[in-house]
Amino acid sequence: MKGETIDDAAIRMAPEDNVVTALEDLPAGRAFDVDGGTVTLAEPVEFGHKFALASLDPGDTVRKYGEVVGTATEPIAAGEWVHTHNVVSTRGQPGDEGGEADSDENGDAERRDT
Amino acid sequence: MSERAVDPREFRGYRRADGRVGVRNYVAVVPVSVTASAVAKAVASRAGTGVRALPHQMPLSPNEAARTQVETVLEGVGANPNVAGALYVALGTEDIASEELADAVAATGRPVETLAIREAGGTEAAVDRGVDLAEDLREVASEARRETADTSELVVAMECGGSDATSGLAANPVVGDACDRIVEAGGTGVISETPEFIGAEHILAERCVDDEVREKLLARVERRERMADLMGVDFRGAQPSPGNQAGGLTTIEEKSLGAIAKGGTTPLRDVITYGNHLPVGGGFVVMDSPGYDVESVSGKVAGGAQIVVFTTGRGSTTGNPIAPVVKVTGNPKTYERMHENMDVDASRVLEGESVRTVGGTLSDRIHDVADGTLTAAERHGMAEFAINDLPANEVATLGDPT
Amino acid sequence: MTSEMETEADSLAVRGFVRDGRPSGVRNHVLVVPSVICSGVVAETVAEEVPEATCAPHDHGCGQIGADEAQTRRTLVNVCRNPNVAGVVLVGLGCETISSESLAAQVDVPVRQTAIQTAGGTDEAIEAGREAATDLVREAQQGDRQRVDPAALTLGVTVGDLSDSTVEHVAPETGRLVRAVLDAGGRVVVAGAEALVPHADAASDLTAGAGAADDLQDVLSEHRETVTPTGLRRAAAEQSPGAVTALWDGAPVADVLQYGERATHDAGVAVVDSRGGFEESATALAAAGAQVVVHATADGVPTGHPVVPVVKVTGNAATAGAMPADIDVDATNPDDSLIGVTRGVLDGDASAAEDHGLTSFAISRAGPSL
Repeated sequence: MKGETIDDAAIRMAPEDNVVTALEDLPAGRAFDVDGGTVTLAEPVEFGHKFALASLDPGDTVRKYGEVVGTATEPIAAGEWVHTHNVVSTRGQPGDEGGEADSDENGDAERRDT
Repeated sequence: MSERAVDPREFRGYRRADGRVGVRNYVAVVPVSVTASAVAKAVASRAGTGVRALPHQMPLSPNEAARTQVETVLEGVGANPNVAGALYVALGTEDIASEELADAVAATGRPVETLAIREAGGTEAAVDRGVDLAEDLREVASEARRETADTSELVVAMECGGSDATSGLAANPVVGDACDRIVEAGGTGVISETPEFIGAEHILAERCVDDEVREKLLARVERRERMADLMGVDFRGAQPSPGNQAGGLTTIEEKSLGAIAKGGTTPLRDVITYGNHLPVGGGFVVMDSPGYDVESVSGKVAGGAQIVVFTTGRGSTTGNPIAPVVKVTGNPKTYERMHENMDVDASRVLEGESVRTVGGTLSDRIHDVADGTLTAAERHGMAEFAINDLPANEVATLGDPT
Repeated sequence: MTSEMETEADSLAVRGFVRDGRPSGVRNHVLVVPSVICSGVVAETVAEEVPEATCAPHDHGCGQIGADEAQTRRTLVNVCRNPNVAGVVLVGLGCETISSESLAAQVDVPVRQTAIQTAGGTDEAIEAGREAATDLVREAQQGDRQRVDPAALTLGVTVGDLSDSTVEHVAPETGRLVRAVLDAGGRVVVAGAEALVPHADAASDLTAGAGAADDLQDVLSEHRETVTPTGLRRAAAEQSPGAVTALWDGAPVADVLQYGERATHDAGVAVVDSRGGFEESATALAAAGAQVVVHATADGVPTGHPVVPVVKVTGNAATAGAMPADIDVDATNPDDSLIGVTRGVLDGDASAAEDHGLTSFAISRAGPSL
């Protein structure tokens, strides 16, 4: 699992991720050059916690490690702290069992977007 | 380095009569039920160095499915390669017969004794007798010598506990690298904690060597996910835990994607039920277990793992009575604050060192530990053990997983 | 037998330790309690290094949710509030669900707290725990033992089995003891409900008051639906309801307690929703507030409990013969008096289990490990 560090202060685990993880306690206002633009922290983000690279609407997918890690429950602006207050798991509800992995007729696992 | 070179490694361990090689040389004192746990602890405490108790809270009369699982674990720990000889202690009225356990373990060629508190004449007499028996077993154990063995004879268990965001960013990838090396050298690497596949099981599913393994894996994950229904509570209340969340993990998917990294990248060859026999030279395998660390580690050790590699972000300090637990943290603050209880600093990855390099450091440490170097948990006397129970309503609702 | 000069109720006047806002205790424990399995070794080390401290290590506290978490939490809180406890050192890890910090806030007895991760490691936590335990021991040793009004007593009775020997020989003894405690104004808690499951339809006959009858019915139905029959339940089915309730002298059940709940009834008998095993039942009784536990055991389960002195009574002559030093009362022996022995233990005599000193502390789960 490789990650790409940004300014030595944050890390993005995969190119398609829309959140990155703080590698130190970051203050509000700290700016990062990402994907040709600038993301400015709207609020402090603690070491190990995530902030958004792009804005998200409720229901939008949050991606880390190149995979779905949750959906937004609130509107999230770029530079906002992303955690349990504005993201919910796509799993753990009755009926979610089995998640994304199914076998197709060849017995190969295929992915479903939940 | 563009290609991974197989790391041929040797270590020096204790070869047992059944051909397995241990990295430690213990006498295990195993209570058959909770009623004998206190006596087992007292025996080990008085007998001293090299004698280790595995106390637990399983009842005199477990339900049928629980009983099978308890027997599996009790037999497995007595036959673990790190165990030179075993003493099974019972009250004498247990449903599980200690003689049957002892026979099964004795069939591996190692010396086994049994002790019943009632037969011995009560608690104090049983402790006295137990100490004598343990000392006899230790005498025999002391004749064993380390000899050269191959990495392919190692079964290394990977675990994560007290996880935070650094677990998935640094510690688990480093362990995954070490896991790949063990597998490439012909050994076995095993992960468990089935609830921590939820959200990432499609990745593991793709690595399964065939449909049968894939179906077993997915069935096990589904069963664990349904367990929270038994509690009438949303699973998301348990995973991630408050400690995980404080450490930056937001959802089970995020936690799981970080957790499975400790299994490396090689094909997933089999799914083993809790506490059951882990294959030697088996490559990368999965054992079905709860996420609860102590039960999870205990299950893998019962399966025959000689060494446990345990990542932690928040700073878990647990060990195991009969297997060395190597603690790896990717959180620099945890390493700094609790370095006495940690073995390998994986936070170097966050500062730019490659996973491969730090994986090499860990791999070296695993070999040192195999040769006899004590882990932090061993130096501090940390030794936790617990057997996963199967409550009757779980079995009735979700089926018998044994 | 007790002297004719006293009634059996009078004989229960003993000396004990006065508590602030709690009934008096008959022991004066400084308890070192790990909030989670991971801090058990640290807690045990502290208790070893401070001779007057006792440890209550258990296998839980991690990854629990819902009713299961609530049960472990309330059990730990109420065990800490047991009258026999002078003070508590709570030892946590730092990331566990049931944190030592949160428990300390809920425990209204002299309490100190440390956590491994906050202290900076196991050595540091042992150091902090040792200091705290030493302080609490010093505090606990101030103050003399004073006369305890028998009305302040809560007797715990744990029914280990309903074998013929228990029914024939032990029940009359425990029944008399229960009667003596009730006559003296004290109260009784019985572990547990499991023994009544086969007799659920008699619930209204067994209880005092419609509230207790409904509660008992609920508990018993849940057992029947969710718990595989154990040996205790099967044996209870073989006995009449009267034979089972004789263990507490047939006194009507005034209240039904959840596992780990503290007893609040003023008088009479409460039944706690516990399952067979001694170790878990004794913890339920300690949480309920029992100062002493009587354990009816045909098998002779010998372990004691870190919080309550346990009096072992058997009606099985083979057991009494096989483990004489572990049994306090052989109910087949007319010279052995359960009331006499219990009175002595309340007054400070060591029970057989306290003599050998081996204890277990277990908490019942209300769900699977996740």
